[in-house]
Amino acid sequence: MSTAIVAQHVRRTTLAQRYPHVLMGSLGVLAVVLSFYSLSVGATEVSMHDVFNALTGNTSNQAAQIVVDFQLPRVILAWLVGIALAVSGGVMQGVIRNPLAAPDVVGVTKGAGFAGMLLLLAIPGVPVLAVVPAAFVGGLLAAALVYLLAYRRGATPVRIALVGVAVSAAFEAGIRFLLVRNPLDVSAALIWLTGSLFGRSMSSVYEILPWVVVLVPLVLIWARKLDVLGLGDDLAAGLGEPVEKTRRLLLLFAVALASSAVAVSGTIGFIGLIAPHMARRVFGGRHLASLPSAALFGVLLMLFADMLGRGLAPPLEIPAGLVTAVIGGPYFLYLLVKTGK
Amino acid sequence: MSQSTTVVPQPTEHRRPKIVTSKQRVTWVALVLLALLVVGVVWGLSIGSQHISLSRLPGAIFRADEPDELILQSIRMPRVVLALMVGGALAVAGALMQAVAANPLAAPEIMGVNAGAVFVVVLAVTVVPSLSGAPTILLAFGGAAVAGVSVMLLAGSGRGRVSPVRLALAGVTASSLLISLTQVLIIFDENSADSVLFWLVGGVNFAGWGDIRNLLPWLVIGLVGAFSMSRSLNLLALGDDMARGLGQNVERTRLLGSAFVVVLSGAAVSVAGPVAFIGLIVPHIIRRLAGSNYTVLLPLCAAAGSVLVLYADILSRYVKPPYEVPAGVVTALIGAPIFVYLARRQKVTSS
Repeated sequence: MSTAIVAQHVRRTTLAQRYPHVLMGSLGVLAVVLSFYSLSVGATEVSMHDVFNALTGNTSNQAAQIVVDFQLPRVILAWLVGIALAVSGGVMQGVIRNPLAAPDVVGVTKGAGFAGMLLLLAIPGVPVLAVVPAAFVGGLLAAALVYLLAYRRGATPVRIALVGVAVSAAFEAGIRFLLVRNPLDVSAALIWLTGSLFGRSMSSVYEILPWVVVLVPLVLIWARKLDVLGLGDDLAAGLGEPVEKTRRLLLLFAVALASSAVAVSGTIGFIGLIAPHMARRVFGGRHLASLPSAALFGVLLMLFADMLGRGLAPPLEIPAGLVTAVIGGPYFLYLLVKTGK
Repeated sequence: MSQSTTVVPQPTEHRRPKIVTSKQRVTWVALVLLALLVVGVVWGLSIGSQHISLSRLPGAIFRADEPDELILQSIRMPRVVLALMVGGALAVAGALMQAVAANPLAAPEIMGVNAGAVFVVVLAVTVVPSLSGAPTILLAFGGAAVAGVSVMLLAGSGRGRVSPVRLALAGVTASSLLISLTQVLIIFDENSADSVLFWLVGGVNFAGWGDIRNLLPWLVIGLVGAFSMSRSLNLLALGDDMARGLGQNVERTRLLGSAFVVVLSGAAVSVAGPVAFIGLIVPHIIRRLAGSNYTVLLPLCAAAGSVLVLYADILSRYVKPPYEVPAGVVTALIGAPIFVYLARRQKVTSS
């Protein structure tokens, strides 16, 4: 049955099947163009001329300074966070063979957010580099909790999602609890509750960068193993794959990627769920094609969400996590209706 | 399932044919709830940043000449009363909804009803800042009804029957969507941090007598309506066919029950925000303790919901005195494990 679920989503459009590189390349170009445009959007409108000046190192005027200090880190983070969340979701959906799996569905994002926040509040002045490992531990705990609680003669996709909702709700209540005990300002609170790239600097980029740079290529190298796992446990074992070991390691990578994203951006939801879906619909089910394209869709979604949040009503900031929730909620409902048999 | 002609209520989700409400058990549960209620009210009135001896209470009820009495009358009493009202309303709404939807995971907060009410209220307040009181409650009814019906339709639109778990997932997602939209509105409105958290988690921190006056008529309508339906609900619990055979207009019962759900939860949410999980967990606990005869189940749910919100509010004041954790956070922490337990018991294996 599980293979049937995956197979249902392996739908190839002719264009993507014949020329995957063309389509992926144009998505990449779109993401780059969007990034440049995104650099000019914000509370202070910056002209494209100043953007290019700033990027070439000429930061003499104030507009260029804004681009380098505030906009650039956000755009880079949008890329990294989008890639991390989308690849994490793609791996989870491949490993669990479950179209409803995603870091936020299985509780990883809220667990990681809670742990990250706990660390920041418990030890003031903690080095930022420690936040990612803490978030990782939290995400791992939450995922393990969801799996254990959902397990009852097997863990069905829908039950995992449902238990994930409850565990996420508990961790979210925990986050609110911490927020009330340690009043931060509203924007900081909203970052932890809904996820945002507001006020992030280059130091956040350095926090997440090593994780993405190391783990994403590893996952891509293993993309074929994901395909093999998709054949079902028996067949995969027959092909000489140490199924359990591979599965655990890949899940660990997925949790680590999602947690590193949460550590820098708060709990941004739905990207890990919908980006891999879009990728699978367009590029088919082979992970070597679907994971990189999922990453691109993730980047596009993050850029779009962050840009919309900044540009819709400046100087007000709408957290990117809210935008992704408004896009992702209906998509999830659509998936739920579609997977209904 | 052999069914004798005596009307023995049969919860659809448990396949246990016994559950005969024992009068003794019901009495015990009622007494315990009453005791908890009295202790809770006294406790709720006595704690706070200013300690006030309860001997001042009688004086504070009708006049408030001294500061202590003023605090009691204008801050603590409305807070306690509102906690009781909101808890009762949400718990009865949950019991009604589970009966009407024949679904143990149905509850106003799970099905998007509460989030719909909150969204519409916040939208209305954002568009017309001077709006408050009675009209917002009416708008909340609209939001609650639209959200609830949409979730029902969405969950039912997949091929095949509506499984409880699918319904819950669709409802939870719709809720999170509506809550996100509400947050966007709040950001545009630039409210203070307090009211942000209030509209997102719910609580009775800012209760005033005005809220209670607005809520009271709807609460009375909803509760009286719900209680008067208990016989129909008992029949409905036997299953649609059986209920029809016994001369019950099933559609009318469903429609009426849903209307009272909307009134009760819409009204409660419009004054207290979305207090989490009350409507889901209280009916289950009471059904376990006192059986599932709706004639006693509904009043006991009202009492238990009141107790739960009251104690959640009390707990919220103990966490770190000058700051208060909204009661909704406390109920979410209590409710999530129970939700997991209920989800695990669902024997749903397909997709």
